[in-house]
This record gives sequence, C-alpha cells and structure tokens, in this order.
Amino acid sequence: MKTKIPDFVKTNQFGLLLLVIVFILLFTFTTDGFSSRFNIYALSRVVAIDIMIGLAMMVVILTGGLNLSLGALGVSAAMFGGWCMESMGIPISISIVLILLFGSFLGWINGYVTVKTGVHSFIVTLATMSIYFGFMTLLTEAEAFRKLPETFTDFGSMKLFNKYISPLLLLSIFTCFVLFYLFKFTDIGRKLIAAGANPDAAELSGISVNRMFIYCHMLSGFLAAVAGIMLTSRIGAAIPSMAGHLGFDWLLPAFLAPVIGGTLLSGGKVTVFGTMLGAVLVTLINNGLYLIDVGEFWVRFFLGLILLFAVLLDRAREYFTSKNSIVS
Amino acid sequence: MSKNILELTNVTKNFPGVKALDDANFKLKKGSIHALLGENGAGKSTMIKIITGVYKQDFGALIIDDNKQSFSSPNEANKSGISVVHQERNLIRRFSVGENLMLNNLPKNNFGLINYDEVAKQSKKWLDIMELDIHPNTIVSELTVAKMQLCEIAKALSLESKILLLDEPTSSLSPQDTKNLFSLLKRLVKEQDVSIVFVSHKLEEVFEICDEVTVLRDGKNACVSENINNLDRQKLVKLMIGRDEQIIKSKENKNMNKENLLDLININTDLGHKEISLNLKKGEILGLYGLVGAGRTELIKCLLGLDRIISGKLVLNNEEIKIHSPKEALEKYKIGYISEDRKKEGLILMHDVLTNAGITVWSKLKKILSFLNNGIIYNKVDPYIKKLEVKTPSYNQLVSNLSGGNQQKISVAKWLAAGTDILFIDEPTVGIDIKTKAYLHELIINLSKNGTSIILITSDMPEMIGLADRIITMKDFKVVGETINNHNYDDMSSSIMASIHE
Repeated sequence: MKTKIPDFVKTNQFGLLLLVIVFILLFTFTTDGFSSRFNIYALSRVVAIDIMIGLAMMVVILTGGLNLSLGALGVSAAMFGGWCMESMGIPISISIVLILLFGSFLGWINGYVTVKTGVHSFIVTLATMSIYFGFMTLLTEAEAFRKLPETFTDFGSMKLFNKYISPLLLLSIFTCFVLFYLFKFTDIGRKLIAAGANPDAAELSGISVNRMFIYCHMLSGFLAAVAGIMLTSRIGAAIPSMAGHLGFDWLLPAFLAPVIGGTLLSGGKVTVFGTMLGAVLVTLINNGLYLIDVGEFWVRFFLGLILLFAVLLDRAREYFTSKNSIVS
Repeated sequence: MSKNILELTNVTKNFPGVKALDDANFKLKKGSIHALLGENGAGKSTMIKIITGVYKQDFGALIIDDNKQSFSSPNEANKSGISVVHQERNLIRRFSVGENLMLNNLPKNNFGLINYDEVAKQSKKWLDIMELDIHPNTIVSELTVAKMQLCEIAKALSLESKILLLDEPTSSLSPQDTKNLFSLLKRLVKEQDVSIVFVSHKLEEVFEICDEVTVLRDGKNACVSENINNLDRQKLVKLMIGRDEQIIKSKENKNMNKENLLDLININTDLGHKEISLNLKKGEILGLYGLVGAGRTELIKCLLGLDRIISGKLVLNNEEIKIHSPKEALEKYKIGYISEDRKKEGLILMHDVLTNAGITVWSKLKKILSFLNNGIIYNKVDPYIKKLEVKTPSYNQLVSNLSGGNQQKISVAKWLAAGTDILFIDEPTVGIDIKTKAYLHELIINLSKNGTSIILITSDMPEMIGLADRIITMKDFKVVGETINNHNYDDMSSSIMASIHE
C-alpha cells in the first residue's frame, strides 16, 4: 500500500491544476490572441467574478442546500450600492460597507426562512430570487446608475503586473485565502462544516445547527454582494440586467466552480481552492471556445455538458467515500 | 446424519489490504438452526454476503444441495432459495404489509393492473403460517418494531426460501418478542423444512435455539459446525476472542446517601411523557430500563431541549433550570449525551477521527478571533483516544473506515474530552464485540467512581444489572418502578420484568 507519491498529487485540486494547464497550452497553440495581453487581462476580470460567485454558492452547498437567488441577490446589492453612491452621495467606503451589510441581510432572510420552515433552500431561494429581483426592478424602475464616482469605477479598469492582471482577481484570490483560513483554522469554520456534514450529530455535540446554516446563507449573501460590487466596478455602472434576467447568468458558473472543485452536493465538505480552480477552468473553456469561434450556442452546450460531467463526478465521489467502509 | 443443504469450502476473500476470509468453511445441515459467530471484523458479514451473492469469493466453493453454485447477484441467490433478513429494516414503510410481502411478484388482473384482493389473499397465507395476527392491508409504519421484524421473515418465506439468514434479528426486540420469535423459528424449521443461519452477539440466545455453531476469528474458522451441547459460554467466548471473557464487574453501591444532583419533578412533555419524576445522585449510575418504545431516549432528548417540556420542573444542584438546546446543556450545565445511533447521531462518518473526537471541545479550545488548529485539538483529545485504545492508523483516518467498536469508542471519547458532570449514555454496546464491550463497561464504572453522574439506557439486561446503582423502569412514557440494584441477576431481572408487566 505504500507509495512515494506526495498526498497533494492525489487530490482533486492537482487534477484540476493539470487540466487548467492543458487547456491553457491547448488554447495558446490553437487560437490567435489567447495569450495576448488584452485577452489575459479580460480573462482576469471575468474569472475574478466567477470565483467570487462560485465561493458564494459553495458556502451554501456546504449545508447540503443551494442558493438560486445568488444572481438576483448580487445584483440587488449592487443596485443598492448604486443608489447609495449616486443618489445619496454616500462616500464610497461607507457605501461598500452598507452594500455588504445589505447582501448579508438578504442572505440572512434566505437562511432564516430555510431554517424556520424546514423547507429545502432550493425552494426558498427560488422564491427569494423572484422577490429580490422583482423588488429591485420595482424600486429602480429598471433604470441603471451610470454616474458612479470615478474612484470606484477606476478600480475595475485598473491594470496591474505589466497590465496583465486586474486587481479584481487579486481581491478574489485574497478572499479564497480568508475563507480557507476560516474553514481550516477557526472554531466557527469547523462548526459550519460539521453542521453541514451531519446536522443531527452536530446538534447533539453542542453545535447550534440552525445558527450555522443561517451563517452560511449570510456569508453567501455577503460574497454575492462582493461579486455585485466587483461587476459594477468593472462595467462602470450598476445595471439591473447585468447578470441577466433574475440573475440567471450567474447560476451556471456558480454551480460549476464548486462542483468541479470537489465540493460535495450533499454537504459537509468544502474545497476553497478547488472552487477557485473550477472557476478558472470554466472561464478558460468559455473563453477558448469563443476564440475558436464555435458560436454562442455551442459554448452553452459545452458548459451544460461540463456541469453534467461534474455532477457525475460528485456522485462518484460520494460513492467512493461510502465504499471505503466495505470491509466490516 | 442429515445432509448439508449449504456448504462453503475453503473460501478466501481478499479486500485491498485485508484478508476478510481466509480458507474458511461453513456447513449448514438441512433442518437445523446454525449459529454464525465472531467479533466485529471476524468475517461474518463477508461470509453472509458471499452466501447471498453480494460478493464473489476469490477461492473456494459455494455448494447448495450438492451442486456447486456461483451467484452473480443477490437476485440469483434469492431464486436458489436463499433469503437474508438484515438488521436494518428492508420494508417500505408507507406500503401495506401485503404489498411488501408480494412486492417481487404482485398478482395482476386481466388488465395488467394489480389485483389487491389477490395480494391480500396470497400474503395472508404467509402471515397465517407465521401465526401472525396482522391484516395484510395494515400499513407497515403502523406496526411495532417486533411485528416488522416478523413481516420481514414472512417476506423471506414468501420467496419460497429454504435457507434463511438472520442477522442480529433480536437487537431491537423485547425479551417477550424474542421468545415469540424463537418459538416461531423452531416451528418453521420443523414444519416448513427451512434451515436457518443465525447471527447474534447475544450468546444466551445462541444456546437457547441453535443446534450447531461455527465461529470465525480474523477470517479463519475457530470451529466448524460444533454441536452446541459440547460447548458452554466460556468455551464459546474463548473461541470468539481467543482468550477468556472478563465478566462484567459490578459496582458497589457506595453513593446512595449523597444528595441529588439532578431532579426531574412531574415532567410532562410534548412527546407524551406523563408525570416523570426521578432523581440522579452525584457519582451514581442510574439505569433506565424499558422495552423499545417506552420513551427512554425520547425523555433524554426532551431534557436536552430537542423536544419541549410542557410542565414540571428540572432542578440541577437545587436550582431550577431550563435547557433549550444540547449546546446549552453542554456549555452551561455540563451535560452530555452519547447517542444510541452512532452512525446517524453520534459521529460524522465522513469526517476524520480528530474532528469527531474534538467536536465537543472546539468552543472551549478556541483562541482569539476564533482561531483553532489541529495541533490544539490534538493536544486536548489525544489522551482520551489513547486511553480508549482506539485502533486507527492515524487521526486523519475517516471514521467511516473504522470498525464498529472503534467508532463507538470515538463517540465516547468526545464526551470524555468534554469533561461533563452528567452523562446520558444510550445503549453503549449495541453491535459491539465482546472485548470492546467489557472495556466500555469498565470505563463507565470508572467514570462514575470519579464523580461523573450517569443515566444509563440499555436494553441489555445483564449490562444493566452489572452497571447500574439504581434501576428505574419505564413503560408507555411513564415511570413504573424503581429498584435499588443488588447485582443479583435472577432477583433483579424478575423484579424489573414484574414492574413492566404489572
């Protein structure tokens, strides 16, 4: 049984890293302009947001649930931010704090309703998705905020590292490290995971499972709001349709990243860096396919295929975790 | 000599890193009840799974009725007349008894729809053979645990099975139900020409109904088809564990005059407990005995705040308290609960040993900004895991990979680490091998000697009489009796049963 392969090599993350490298090489040699400074910069802006929404979904999947309201929530928070900065003239730093609080609050609603009713978060967030988006459209009259402070929008178009990388990506990577620290090195992070893995056992071990689930939803709302801020800053305006109708455009990447990354859909396991790599992979494939010029519909087709494949992988993972106990 | 209906000769089965069966033999005589014994991990389950077609042996032969057989699925084994009744219920709870019995072969009418009259009629036949007074249209979920068990056997019979494998059939039955089951099994063997393989941890039962015994130890035969009359309990235990059994050491009643630590006064609960009054003294082991469904575990869960106490008083150290959650019980009142269901409620199977053993102490151990790493937890729980002699390759091992006995040790270890004043211990040795069982008994006694007050729930009468200082009997969510334990088995068991059946 003893092999000299380091543990890291056997992990899902390592496989993902290899895939990412393979795709980078593939697209570099088969397409024009993949490795151009312009394209890499554009990629870094996109992937930054995909990572963030992947993380936002991941922390709810941790509970064995889902957050379908992710896109609607993120956009609502962004629109709220637009209103704060443009209509109310609140300073940027205070506005950002308010946006994050607002996002967490919307997440709290998701969590509170889920926990108190015992209804699966799939249903709850399907409802709140509609509610948040509807309210937002009503209050904003579907008008965008286009005159945001320049300091704010400049951040989204800033270029670092010889103009290759957007600061947005650094923010996302930093967030990954913070979450990794949370789950690995704090009491509260461990409790979140334990509650997700086996709520009954966690409750009887003195963990307040309901509270943990609400925290997860709040964290999800918080991260979705961050993604909303990032997108607003990138576009230079807060637009109601910036994540598609009802925020649908965020759903597919939000699912793909954590599931490809190795987060179990049944809950109780998170892989922060897996989610990050998952988001990178999805963005790469997306971008590469566009550059190969296969056409919009094929891109969607492939992303759908990848999701199905990732879910199959999830089932396999669960199967092998249970298979381990075969010798009794 | 009657002939063998089922035979395994020189069977070997390898799993990655483990030899589950090593050149093992098994012979089942036609029309006999044969005990298959061994500690957890000895290879019983593997043997059963080979007989029932779940696994295929690497070497050796499976012979049924003198014909060499090779099953590639449980279905094929079924067709050859082999049925297994597992510990876990395999009935569909929302279906009727008749539907469950006939599930594999539902009678249809001319339109291809299910003929429910026929379902009832055909299933009634099997219920009658079992002398079971259940209407075929009864929904399974309305039956008692014992009746469900009997329905499973009826279902196995309805498949025209000639060989019946019963895996721990009595683990959730009351003594009375067990007795009924045994007389039924004896009758089946006589009248229905059935041969039975009986797997159990309870040796008393083996002596009561089995004709022959096969013991496995570490995948090998410790004995093959030994006549039960040539064995006694000591010999059998020695075959199973390879050394003599340690008898449950009784604890002397030294603490009877101490003051009450926890008082329940006229407690009524949402779940239907009526006027429960009892007290727990410091350093005492208070036994809660009762049949399945007497409301013992439910009472504990109400005390932990998982279900509501409607009226009555809960007094700890002469102070009235209210507990709203297990978290509060643990952190504020230092009360812990070792669940009877270690897989569902006791452990997080998909997490590692360190996580599971430390879960109760995270809050206590955390540093500034909620910081907590593995090293801090390791230092705290390592002594307890060592003390309990948990066998695991490392603390990173997933708990699901450990044997049942070691899993139970972990679910005990986490409460030792928590250092509670009061511990509710629920069925601590169900499905645990004899060695671990004796170890846990000693541990419970030592805990109470060191001042921990314990409420012990167990349906294992010898265990109860060995460990408890006082025994409270419950029935139908009420307290029906209280006895000071004198550790004399005959005395105590009859007085306990009397209080239940009054």
